Amino acid sequence: MARSYLFVPGNVPRMLQHAEVFEADALIFDLEDAVSLEEKDEARQLVRSFLQTHPPSQPAYVRVNADALARDFSILDGLPIHGVVLPKASIQTLASLREQLDGEEWSVLALVETPSAFLELSDLARDPGVDGLILGGVDLRAALHAHPTESGIELLYARSRLLMAARAYGIEAIDTPYAESDDAGFETDLKRSVALGFDAKCAIHPNQVPPLNAAFTPSQERIREARRIVERHEQTGEVRFSLDGRMVDRPVLEEAKQLLERAKRYKALKKEADDAD
Amino acid sequence: MKETVTTGSLESSDCLIRLEPSEQLEIDLETDVHEAFYEHIHTLISDTLEEMGVQSVYVRCKDQGALDFTIRARLIAAIERYRELHDG
Repeated sequence: MARSYLFVPGNVPRMLQHAEVFEADALIFDLEDAVSLEEKDEARQLVRSFLQTHPPSQPAYVRVNADALARDFSILDGLPIHGVVLPKASIQTLASLREQLDGEEWSVLALVETPSAFLELSDLARDPGVDGLILGGVDLRAALHAHPTESGIELLYARSRLLMAARAYGIEAIDTPYAESDDAGFETDLKRSVALGFDAKCAIHPNQVPPLNAAFTPSQERIREARRIVERHEQTGEVRFSLDGRMVDRPVLEEAKQLLERAKRYKALKKEADDAD
Repeated sequence: MKETVTTGSLESSDCLIRLEPSEQLEIDLETDVHEAFYEHIHTLISDTLEEMGVQSVYVRCKDQGALDFTIRARLIAAIERYRELHDG
């Protein structure tokens, strides 16, 4: 589970060697869209050589090419990676990926970026090998003949549908990266990702990582409120009560517990305890 | 030249590798880094060629401050391209 997944182009040495310092929770070394067709072989060797000698401290994924899985997997053997990102995910490409995995227990994140993938999303999400769904917004928009808007209305259904599937099968929901360069648009897009309920978001620029990590970490105000709810429940055993005029029942209690779990995972609980001292 | 293969780039932290047919093993290294690293890079290229079973080729490496992992990767990719070109 991560808050930020930073894409790192597979054929640019200086970006590979600096990737670790940007504090993304996870790195995705890209052999697909960030690499031209003529450079695929070079990128494969570069990513292999880099990961063999400089394994990053955070979980490393490799985005493979759905139409060149065998070639990509030929260089992944023995690498210290956490998993692979499968672009153009579908039941068919997932089956091909499984053949290549050949028993390797790598995590698989399915990149959902075609209209047909949404028609088989439940099957993708419930596959025991799939640990998360990533929305591929740029490709999907193009396939839908849609255009980016400030409100994000063109991707609202896709985001919501992907979240439903991820939540239904208990896997990670990861939002599409913000592909434009304006800060205001990025901030709006990030708020939308958090509000909808995504666990994490992809980043295509290192500058996007710190705000992204901050946004997916529960605020101290929300942590305090969740603590009070959970503590009241633990002290009284009540599952339905009023706290500062707010009605608390089982769903609110569960939400508070989940928030505290997230805060603990991202070490935000310690900060709250420090503040109280 | 048709029989030449090239990998890498002249971007910072990268290197440009060119392989050409030769009757013997020749390594032509150009780098701005300290002399001590010159020897290190030369040995790295030589070791990688030996590891890949290459006995005769002309290697031109223009280093732009690349780390070992980059030089090795660019060279391996070049050898594979070279073999594909020459051996089919």
